[in-house]
Amino acid sequence: MYTRLTAKAVPFFMVLPLILLFLSLAMFPFGYMIYISFHDYNLAEGGSPTFIGVQNYLAMFRDNVALSSIRFTLLLVCTAVPIELGLGIAIALFIRGITGEKVIRSSLLLPMMIPSVVAGIAWKMLYNYEYGPMNYFLSFFGIPRISWLGNYTFAQIGIILADVWQWTPFIFLILYAGLQSIPRELAEAAKVDGASEFEITRFIELPLLGPLIGVSLIIRIIDVLKVFDIIYMVTWGGPGSATHSLSYYIYKVGVSFGWDIGYAAAISLVLLGSIVALTTFLIRMLRLKKSLGFE
Amino acid sequence: MRQTIKKVVKYTGVAVIAFFFLFPVYWLVITAFKYPEEWFQWPPIIIPINLTLDNFFGLKGGVYGHLTTSVANITPYLINSTVVGVVTALVSTAIAASAAYAISRYKIGGMRFVSWIISIRMLPPIAAALPLYIIFMRLHLLNTWWALILSYLLLTTPLSCWILLTFFNEIPREMDEVAQVDGCSPFKAFVYVILPLSAPGLAAVATLSFIACWGEFLLALILTSNQQAQTLPIFLGRYITGWRIAWGPLSAAGIINMVPVIIFSLIMQRYLIRGLTFGAVKG
Amino acid sequence: MGAKKILAAMGVTVILLLGVSMAVAGTVKINCLSSPDNADALTDFAQEFMKKYPDIQVEVIPLSWEVLYPRILADFASHAGAYDTMTWDLMTGGACSQGLADLEKIRKQYPEVVDPDYDIEDFIPTAWHVYGMWGEKNIGLPFYGATMFFFYRKDYFQQLGLQVPTTWDEVLKAARLLTKEYNPDSPSKYGISLMFPRTHTLFYMYLNWFGPLRRSPSGIAKFGKVDLDWGDYFTQDKKPAFNSLEGARALELMEELMRYSPDPLGSDYGETLEYFGKGLVAMVPQWTACIASWKGSPALSPYSEKVGVTIMPGGHPVSGGWGLGINNDTPHKKEAYMWIQFATNKRHDKLHWLKYNVGPTRYSTCQDPEVLKEYPWLKDVYIPSLEQASHRPRIPEEPKLEDVAVGTLSEILMGRKPDKLKTLDELASEWMRILKK
Repeated sequence: MYTRLTAKAVPFFMVLPLILLFLSLAMFPFGYMIYISFHDYNLAEGGSPTFIGVQNYLAMFRDNVALSSIRFTLLLVCTAVPIELGLGIAIALFIRGITGEKVIRSSLLLPMMIPSVVAGIAWKMLYNYEYGPMNYFLSFFGIPRISWLGNYTFAQIGIILADVWQWTPFIFLILYAGLQSIPRELAEAAKVDGASEFEITRFIELPLLGPLIGVSLIIRIIDVLKVFDIIYMVTWGGPGSATHSLSYYIYKVGVSFGWDIGYAAAISLVLLGSIVALTTFLIRMLRLKKSLGFE
Repeated sequence: MRQTIKKVVKYTGVAVIAFFFLFPVYWLVITAFKYPEEWFQWPPIIIPINLTLDNFFGLKGGVYGHLTTSVANITPYLINSTVVGVVTALVSTAIAASAAYAISRYKIGGMRFVSWIISIRMLPPIAAALPLYIIFMRLHLLNTWWALILSYLLLTTPLSCWILLTFFNEIPREMDEVAQVDGCSPFKAFVYVILPLSAPGLAAVATLSFIACWGEFLLALILTSNQQAQTLPIFLGRYITGWRIAWGPLSAAGIINMVPVIIFSLIMQRYLIRGLTFGAVKG
Repeated sequence: MGAKKILAAMGVTVILLLGVSMAVAGTVKINCLSSPDNADALTDFAQEFMKKYPDIQVEVIPLSWEVLYPRILADFASHAGAYDTMTWDLMTGGACSQGLADLEKIRKQYPEVVDPDYDIEDFIPTAWHVYGMWGEKNIGLPFYGATMFFFYRKDYFQQLGLQVPTTWDEVLKAARLLTKEYNPDSPSKYGISLMFPRTHTLFYMYLNWFGPLRRSPSGIAKFGKVDLDWGDYFTQDKKPAFNSLEGARALELMEELMRYSPDPLGSDYGETLEYFGKGLVAMVPQWTACIASWKGSPALSPYSEKVGVTIMPGGHPVSGGWGLGINNDTPHKKEAYMWIQFATNKRHDKLHWLKYNVGPTRYSTCQDPEVLKEYPWLKDVYIPSLEQASHRPRIPEEPKLEDVAVGTLSEILMGRKPDKLKTLDELASEWMRILKK
């Protein structure tokens, strides 16, 4: 038998580890970021932080590379994510019932399991101008060699392609899992009523998958806004600043070419703020509250 | 007739899709077994005939030192990655499960609390990297497993918690009540009744955490400095020298970086599929 | 209770793990953070060193180029002392100087470890300055001497009756003749392989064209002499020199050459090395470390008949290279000095050139008969190259200056900024803003 006190204490202690972990390791970085973003602090020049108010934030608006990084990051969200979503759904639906479904399913999971840096190496080889397989396969269609790493537009397309390659399997996995858990009776009942396969998909399965699509959309958007690894390995942000994502630019500012911590923190906060705003909006719109058991 | 056309279309489609997703991996794998002259050729050698293990074990009497022509010294990095990955996966799952259960059954903290947890995932690693560097420096934990484990817990627990929360919501409360009627405290009900029921979810979450840790690059780069604690992704950097990129050994190291996590994930994929439904699909 | 047992087990595991991850005391252990270029040679030397001094363990830690410098800076700033010795790239000298130990002080403190045969006078003066000194402080011992050289296909040149080029205009003419698209009879597909990617590569490549213009008689008259610490990007008064007709002209020369090169904006070391190694191009400005891989390439064999090397057209190749320094925060200064002195002595300077083509920094190596037999150009091409080299700035702000410059230069070469002078002026203002801070 347990007392009422224990009843209240138990849930509290069960969440305690998580709260402690986050408070100590996440809140301090967050607080420090806010604090230092109002200071001028550069590790390479020594000295201690000097207060400069909002100058770091103002500098961001004058900084062309920061602005183009924002543009490219948004471009990624608007192109890569929809493509991944569409492809993921399509493949999940497409693959059902094929012989060797399990094998195909397993091999489709490969891209998302391998470390991003390894994927980056593979793509860097594929994109080689003179000898890369990409240009080789394109030559079958009579398309002349493309400078994937040296041309402004194609470098961007190259990153989008690599991201789609790596993360479509993730969406596929979630939606495939979802499809598996739809009770078969529903589809069978509909078939008995004379519905075609297409109608079943459109009117029963897709709506049921709705919340899952929403969830994977949110996760992917958050991750794309933070993208770093693949850019670091494949294009190093180039040519020019064509493929700088905001996260990558923060790396350059804060780590790569001299530790301008204050400025890096300011940009980080802007990035974080955008992610939070965007996802809160999405969570509300997709009514995730319900799926989390809060309504 | 229509059925045959449909079948042909389906199989061609599958072939194209499989090709697209598998070719880059295939290319990496065969490069690891190619001689240096063949890494870059036109037309590219898609089906290699001359295979070698030199990229793994080093050239004999080569012009380069062994550091960039073989995967020598990869063992410490392999150990580091494995330890950090396994410990993080286990601990993160434990913490997440514990919290998720409390939220699911007691609604502790309400939607706000859940939103806060999810928001931790929104923190870009690069933003957290420097403050974490400072924290661990003060604690003298730089370049240790702990620095990585603690940081990775931060990265993996939010998503794990979210997934497990929806998972637990699926398990009817009656199960808890049955257990408690029999005299269990809520905690015991959790450990002995609910957890076993949610094995697929736990496995899915642990697997995803492991995959994330295994491939993490940025924080490992910043928080560790030598083979005492550095992980496999950092090891790959040594092949990119100032004057050549040793694609063969780099791919060889890449394979070693890939294989364990692929094998593990393939074994666990059943659980991944059962566990990743986010509780969204109901009859 | 089951739960308690689990907790206890976890506790024990935690303690065990903590214990394992703590350092073990014993013989003196020092490490050497090295870029991959230097790591092979240093690892060899470390083995020798440990045989000679069994009480000192030396671990060479290779780190990829772009990570090396931030790691060193972080180590200095945090005084963590994670690295005892390190190779530092010459243009990071100024920034690293604050954390590097004064070697003269160490020599005075431990006179017993100073090698009597070390012979500081043997170092080529430019090398001693850029890989060793910052102001009055001796911050390193020269390890890897480097300038870029101009490699070309002797056989193709002979075939077309071309002379070895000494100016960029001559290169342009030769490149056109050696590119199949413009000359169907060309033996090579492309005339030249250039690397203008958006990395530090572009920052130093630019000097191969700007250096000669900066140091021409009219250049010297206009900009003054080149300061060894501020380099060719600046005037004698420490103001930017590239926002000028000469600066724009250098870019024009680069642009004109680009059409005879495969994918210049997407190529870096690895690519240009491959292209030349496969016989795809007839000329390439590159560092000496490529030689090792070209010697093993079937398309370039026999190497001595096919590949020629000459001083960079224009006569002022950009300098590179590395110094070996000691972390001021290391507790093992004496052993660290023994190590870096060992790695940079006469014997090893010669050895790392012969075995790995890691460039020498000493006259003795460049005049050694055994070396000259295989590399006769070391005397007539290498030494003058090093002595006449153009330099990047070595001041602490260099990394930031470099990054903004590379972005701009890259945009100009991509054709996105048609008004070169205006763009260079904007870059110059940005530099002054960074320097004023």
